[in-house]
Amino acid sequence: MTTKPNLKTWRDIPVGGVLESGTSEHFHTGGWRSKVPVWQKKNCIQCLTCWAFCPDNAIKLVDGAKGKERAEFDYDFCKGCGICPEECPQNNKIFKELKAKDANLKGSPSTATGTPGFDEKAAILFVGLKEAKDKYNIK
Amino acid sequence: MEKTITARTGNEAMAEAMRQINPDVCAAYPITPATEIMQIFAGFVNDGRVKTNLITVESEHSAMSACVGSAAAGARTMTATSSQGLALMHEILFIASGIRLPIVMADVNRALSAPINIHCDHSDTMAERDSGWIQIFSENTQEAYDSMLQANRIAEHKDVITPVMVTTDGFIISHGMERLEMYPDAEVQKFVGEYKPQYTVLDVDHPITVGSLVLTDYYLEYKKAQHEAMKAAKRVILEVGKEFGKTFGREYGLIETYKADDADFILVAMGSTAGTAKAAIEELRQEGIKAGLLKIRVFRPFPAEEIAAVLTKAKAVAVLDRCESMSNQAGPVATEVKAGLYDAGVKVPLASYIYGLGGREIYIEDIKNVYRELKNIAEGKLKPEQAKYIGLKE
Repeated sequence: MTTKPNLKTWRDIPVGGVLESGTSEHFHTGGWRSKVPVWQKKNCIQCLTCWAFCPDNAIKLVDGAKGKERAEFDYDFCKGCGICPEECPQNNKIFKELKAKDANLKGSPSTATGTPGFDEKAAILFVGLKEAKDKYNIK
Repeated sequence: MEKTITARTGNEAMAEAMRQINPDVCAAYPITPATEIMQIFAGFVNDGRVKTNLITVESEHSAMSACVGSAAAGARTMTATSSQGLALMHEILFIASGIRLPIVMADVNRALSAPINIHCDHSDTMAERDSGWIQIFSENTQEAYDSMLQANRIAEHKDVITPVMVTTDGFIISHGMERLEMYPDAEVQKFVGEYKPQYTVLDVDHPITVGSLVLTDYYLEYKKAQHEAMKAAKRVILEVGKEFGKTFGREYGLIETYKADDADFILVAMGSTAGTAKAAIEELRQEGIKAGLLKIRVFRPFPAEEIAAVLTKAKAVAVLDRCESMSNQAGPVATEVKAGLYDAGVKVPLASYIYGLGGREIYIEDIKNVYRELKNIAEGKLKPEQAKYIGLKE
């Protein structure tokens, strides 16, 4: 029988699987993504709504001029759930404006990527894996 | 030690045992015929006779979930349920045993729906036989009380750390009033001892993860560790049963035999029917039939070797199941007894019976008939049948 040499045996594992806290830091879930959020810093108003809504703590905070600010996505943990582009007030504002001009516009802020006028002004885009790689240089 | 002789129902006895144990937390939801246990215990909480934090919840699923949270916090945790309530706990029972929380539950055996029925059989408890809980059956009120007092010691033992359910037969024991010898509170508390949990999720200085995701690399190892804890439980149940005997005068094992030493025909039964069988044996012995009984007290872990060692001397064996597993073979007790006999290399004619479903009465005469059939089987006049129904209207 083969056993990976670096793994513990049944005799050595903790009773009931009780572990030290914070083990999820070692478990990178970024590979689960099928779509990628792209932060457009120039359009971001630093309201931190995305940070508050992110279910995976994949938006990090840094000290800025006026206090805490959001930084780049932590792509090791972002699962691509699409909550941040949906909740972004900047995205909603842009989308509302576009919709006022074009009543036939379908979808929501997270699906508006590719809509003329949206990509330039949105704070968080939600794009396909290939587009993220080719256009925004995100793996 | 001064013992108090009282008259108590099974439910009263279990509630009294819980009062004496004085657990930190109880979370429960009422269901017939187990309702009284928590109802009486709630009175003890109200009267300040226990320091227990009693949590009333909206379902048994929530009751066991609250027990899991409480036990993970390091609190000595108990509950009570029956039948559909136990079935509703099903999902969480595996979680309690899987993350190794030594919860103790009073479980009153009752038929499962449908058809809806409130009376005794073992189908609810048998449906949880693979849930990783230790399962102890009681013949009468005294055994239910005594086993409850031993349950925490077994569950919390460092080599076991596994939840325990102590069962009584619905209405037959739960509502039947019997003579009960109770022990002084102080002596019980000394025996049960202080609970020292292996961890608590409430220690903010030492944060831990309980119930983490375990995938292909370790799940197998966790199950093996649980398997070994169940093996160790056999030894610990015997140790605790022996110490209980020394302290309170009644020793307990995994099985109990009654006149089985010289018996030609041995009946295997669990729960209250063991008492009926003893009465039948007395009468049969008068008729010159060497009848004996093997009562299984502990169904999980299953005492296969111990059972095989007793049955090896018999000319014929009958196994009584108060549960129908719809396997077309036999009930769960008979199936496991047969597996144990096979492993021990014991080949003895064995007939299996289904009885008492939904509270159907089983009489001394019914059991005597089983022994008479065993005699005919041993003499080659009858072929052993499987899953033969007793007391069926045909």
